[in-house]
Amino acid sequence: MISAKSYSSLTLIAAALLLASPVASAQQTIKLGMTTALTGPFNEFGEGNRRGVMLAIDEWNKKGGINGRKIELAEAMDDQLVPDKAVQNMRRILDNKDIVAIIAPAGSGPSLATMDMLEADGRPTCNPLAQSPSVIYPKGKENPPRKNVVSMAITNEAEATRLGQILGKQYKNIGVIHESTAYGVTGAELVKKSIAVTNPAAKVQIESYNQRSQDMTSQVARLQRSQVDAILVVGLGADFAVIRKNMSRANVKVPLFGSTGAVTAPYLEGAGDLAIGTRSVSPDAFGKRPLSAYAQNFVDQYRAAHGTDRWYGSDAANPQISMAAIVGNAYDCAVVLLDAIRRAGSTEPAAVIAALNQTKGLAGIAVPSITLTAQIHEAFKPEDLGLFEINKSAAGALYLKPVVE
Amino acid sequence: MNSMRTLLTKLATHPLALLVLFVVVFFGAPYLRGATLQILSFALVSILFTQSINVLTGMAGQISLGHAAFFGIGAYGSAIIAKTFGLNLFLTIPVAAVVSSLIAYLLSYPAGRVKEVYLAMMTLGFGQIFLEVAREWTDLTGGVMGLSGVPSAGLGTLIILGHKFSTIDYFRVLLLITACSMIFIRNFSQSRLGRSLFVMHYSELAAGSVGIARRQTKQLAYALSGLLAGISGGFYAHLVGYLGPESFAISRSIEVLVVAIVGGLWSSAGQVISAIFFTFLPEQLQLFAEYQFIAYGLILTFTLILFRQGIGGLLFLPPRFIRQAWLTTAVEQQRQATAANSQTNEPQFLKIQTVSADIKVQEITMRFGGLVALNSVSLDIQAGHITALVGPNGSGKSTLVNIIAGVFPPTSGQVFLQGSDVTAQADVEMAKKGVVRTFQDPRLVPHFTVRENIMLGAHAMMHYTWLEAGLSMPRVRLQEAQALEQCNEILQLLDIEAVADQAVESLPYGYRRMTELGRALLARPKIILLDEPAAGLSDVEMTRLAEILVKLKHLGITVLLIEHHMDFLTGLVDEVVVLDSGSIIFKGDMLGMRQDPKVIAAYLGDDEVQHA
Amino acid sequence: MDFFLSLVIAGACVGSVYALVAVGLNLTFWTTKTLNFGQGAVMMLCAISTALLTAQGISNGVGVIAGVAIVALVGVIVERIAVRPALKTAGSMGWVIATLGFGILLQGITSKFFGSQAIPFPEVLFTVQDVIDIGGQNISLQYVSIFVVSILIIVVLEGLTRYTVLGTAIRGTAQDMELAIVQGLPVNLIVSGSFVLSSILAGIAGILTAQISGTVDPAFGFELVLMGFVAAVLGGMGSSAGALIGGIIVGIIGKLVGGYISTAAEHGIAFALLIAMLALRPEGFFGRAEVSKA
Repeated sequence: MISAKSYSSLTLIAAALLLASPVASAQQTIKLGMTTALTGPFNEFGEGNRRGVMLAIDEWNKKGGINGRKIELAEAMDDQLVPDKAVQNMRRILDNKDIVAIIAPAGSGPSLATMDMLEADGRPTCNPLAQSPSVIYPKGKENPPRKNVVSMAITNEAEATRLGQILGKQYKNIGVIHESTAYGVTGAELVKKSIAVTNPAAKVQIESYNQRSQDMTSQVARLQRSQVDAILVVGLGADFAVIRKNMSRANVKVPLFGSTGAVTAPYLEGAGDLAIGTRSVSPDAFGKRPLSAYAQNFVDQYRAAHGTDRWYGSDAANPQISMAAIVGNAYDCAVVLLDAIRRAGSTEPAAVIAALNQTKGLAGIAVPSITLTAQIHEAFKPEDLGLFEINKSAAGALYLKPVVE
Repeated sequence: MNSMRTLLTKLATHPLALLVLFVVVFFGAPYLRGATLQILSFALVSILFTQSINVLTGMAGQISLGHAAFFGIGAYGSAIIAKTFGLNLFLTIPVAAVVSSLIAYLLSYPAGRVKEVYLAMMTLGFGQIFLEVAREWTDLTGGVMGLSGVPSAGLGTLIILGHKFSTIDYFRVLLLITACSMIFIRNFSQSRLGRSLFVMHYSELAAGSVGIARRQTKQLAYALSGLLAGISGGFYAHLVGYLGPESFAISRSIEVLVVAIVGGLWSSAGQVISAIFFTFLPEQLQLFAEYQFIAYGLILTFTLILFRQGIGGLLFLPPRFIRQAWLTTAVEQQRQATAANSQTNEPQFLKIQTVSADIKVQEITMRFGGLVALNSVSLDIQAGHITALVGPNGSGKSTLVNIIAGVFPPTSGQVFLQGSDVTAQADVEMAKKGVVRTFQDPRLVPHFTVRENIMLGAHAMMHYTWLEAGLSMPRVRLQEAQALEQCNEILQLLDIEAVADQAVESLPYGYRRMTELGRALLARPKIILLDEPAAGLSDVEMTRLAEILVKLKHLGITVLLIEHHMDFLTGLVDEVVVLDSGSIIFKGDMLGMRQDPKVIAAYLGDDEVQHA
Repeated sequence: MDFFLSLVIAGACVGSVYALVAVGLNLTFWTTKTLNFGQGAVMMLCAISTALLTAQGISNGVGVIAGVAIVALVGVIVERIAVRPALKTAGSMGWVIATLGFGILLQGITSKFFGSQAIPFPEVLFTVQDVIDIGGQNISLQYVSIFVVSILIIVVLEGLTRYTVLGTAIRGTAQDMELAIVQGLPVNLIVSGSFVLSSILAGIAGILTAQISGTVDPAFGFELVLMGFVAAVLGGMGSSAGALIGGIIVGIIGKLVGGYISTAAEHGIAFALLIAMLALRPEGFFGRAEVSKA
């Protein structure tokens, strides 16, 4: 019950606020925009990205924002990783002239669909997750990147280089199974190239599958027939579990490697104990003990905001390795954009882009040390990846354990 | 309710109102935000795509669960040609649309032979195959990496004849094409070809009985549908600038079905509203994305059951399939002509100019598996006479009529029409030769008016093409008008002019019978085969029918009718043939038949029981 | 293990599951000349129910039974609200679209309330490592047991329909529904029952498939139902033996194409078979061409 007395004090307060707000709105917020898979089958990535961005924004706002201006995620739209929807959403975001910087969608499909439009618009954009090279380098690595787009994502190239080094060094006959998507196709091609560089004599056989196939006997049997001595899977967790099971049924016991997207929770849950021994390259950030101060701060902030949830993992002392690549990369994106805006002292696209290209040694999560130039727009380097192997903890949980090479 | 519908229909179909709408949208485009312009462009693409379903599923009743394939052929086709040959979209979209149309035409061959559930599965499989091809043929389509760099106004890469197209220009072109397409489809639906699509849906046999070629009609439906889907796909490609195979998966096929069904399967106006609604909804309601499946599921499950006519049925009057302007003129002209001549109520165009036709049936045997329906039946149906075919149920009467009409060939034996062997001729050919029949159960298009149903009979008499129909060429008006005049004469002959413009599904049985008879007559029969025409008629109606049959005889038309009503036949028929268990047991006049012991034993019964 | 043999065994196994789906589709086709185009969602619902229940600690056996019971109920609902009214009012297209819609609805509700992520499916039939030695070849017991279970169910069903009163009643309704009503057969019950049985078969097929892949998500099942269609059409709509042989043929050909030609082609070959069959011989290998007096 609101009493007459408190009603009148409320009115006074309201009036005061009303009078005060014109002053506040003169200092407009710095607005960011993003469209990503907030819901739907891929929301693990999209929602994770959003949380990373919000975490960075909240932290910067706590430190006073940029030159006294607060930062805001003005548009966080949902595209469920459907390219058409991403295109529509992006058009709406770009129509909003107040938005100064954009975070790209959570996957190669929608990113590729919107990249041309973002490049034409010119506002600074950061790609957190999409790994396809043409997101950043539409005409190939030999040519300049898109002027206004930078990437904190693990690149297919970085991953392929590392994997190629590891596989080429130890094995002679390698089988690669990849999903029929942009991520899978470019990943497999690049791994094949990288293996050839490390070990020209090595043989590489490539098989593909459609996402959510129920049975991968053909793929596994073909590799078995070729007598491969190692298998790499470039794809996502649920399908990786199916492959692992097929391998077991077919009695294929060769060393198994998975791409970053493959060794996620669905793989661990689906394959269970069969997952033990699978190796993968993943961002090193959370593998090191002790965690860097920057990383420790990040995980503490995340835990404070969200607890030990699906992205963090159930063990407070050991955040999931994958969080670096799902939440951390978007965090880095927001940080690198905000840092450039701060250094440029302006939100004008040209100025911000110039500042972006001068980013040197900025601390990050997925990319521990972010450096960008006019030519290098992908911050991620092969060295940022570490080799991990799935182990079972004393408590019976499966986790990625760093492997010393 | 009805007055609101009338008002809305007037608005939606009035040329001036539509012109105003077009002009407003056309010139208002620059004042819209970029995102709104883009969404409207998407809505227009959706409208076009939905029209392809309108033609194939709404009008022709052929279900398609894989239409995204044609959309995709149009999209990829235009994009690939544009990128490879540097041609602009005014060339690439038509080419891609023609390719899509061609492939749809080819699909009609296997698809036209199957029905319902098999057709659904086949189209589903076809859609899946397209998806796989788009995914795997990387050299052509870019595979899963997709095709980027498609010339697009939104990216500033759409340059036509030196002029850089803006999003506003693109929108205007799209608006123009969509408007033209809608007009084309409306013209088409109000032509003989449009009407013939509908009868394919409801009764393929009825179609054949008046000379409507089934295969060609289905091919036309598929080809036109493919063309429209291809055009919409082409415009889609240049709208988004990037194509990925996942945009052409089954969800796209289901979406367009949802839009079409909610709009109302053959209501263009309803579909326009539905398309706009479903394009804007996900945009306005971010929440929609999460509930999208649930929403689509509910719509698909319940709309056809509860809400059959969709938005179209709710907001508008049922669409009509005859051009109102031509109808008014034709009716007027015909009335004047009749008044001037004041002849007897006999449509002169039906008069047999040359010689009346006779049919000779020689040793016809018909086997269905192990059942012998007709056993070496031979019969002469005299030219210009009224002959009755009677007998107990299952004696083979309908089978004989089916064989004469060409519905299926006899196992052995021959049929001669005016001396020529027509045994192998199918029903469509027989109809064109002047052998027209009616059915035991009237097979009409339920939501057509009496007039529209009868007009189906004139299909084979008119000769304009689908292109002429869509463009509303003068030829079309002339032929339609003439058919409408003749149709009116028939309406007067059958005394059903009063209900001419009511939907047959709302009329009592007697009127439906007359409508079917009218349709058969408009097909200018030399011989008319009537399957139990008096069944279900009141006494008054039966008397009327008898008078009509006598008039037909005066005009020189040969009549064969299957009947059970002995009283009806008395005094009407010249000859009666009695069948029993596939064999003829009596040929002669009515009097003789009543006294023939075999007929009494097999059929009439000792007390000459009169059938009600 | 021998390349060819591993393909054939896997093919026969998945094929037997397709056959199970096909037989389920046949059941409703017999009694009502309709199919449940949303059958995939039924399979998914059963598998997800079982997975969720066992994750809560319920034993595998009870979980399976519960899952099957749930979809049996769904079968009643589908017939009541999607098929029966559609047949009455909307003609041929109505039930195709209504059942398709119902499947989408189920999928939407499931993903809204349980998320769209894949959840792990427990090992109900043996484990992935269990093998049996036949003639020197190690064959996964999971494949064998799935194959055996599917065949068994189909054989039992065929036996029921041929040799019991219930079966005769079903076949009577299939031949001529009006006559069956006149004869006093509880036709509504039989029709409902056919949908229930069809859903149960689909549910079991879902469980068996989830067993092979190890995970299940709301989009699960759609592909499988397509394969079931292909199997049913190949064998001939309405024939159980046809469904069995059709399914196994589809499964084996798919795997052989995937193994010898390209894994990319494995997916599309089934649809090519479907279209070819529908174009050339719609009644399938074992069906009889429909003859009607028109």
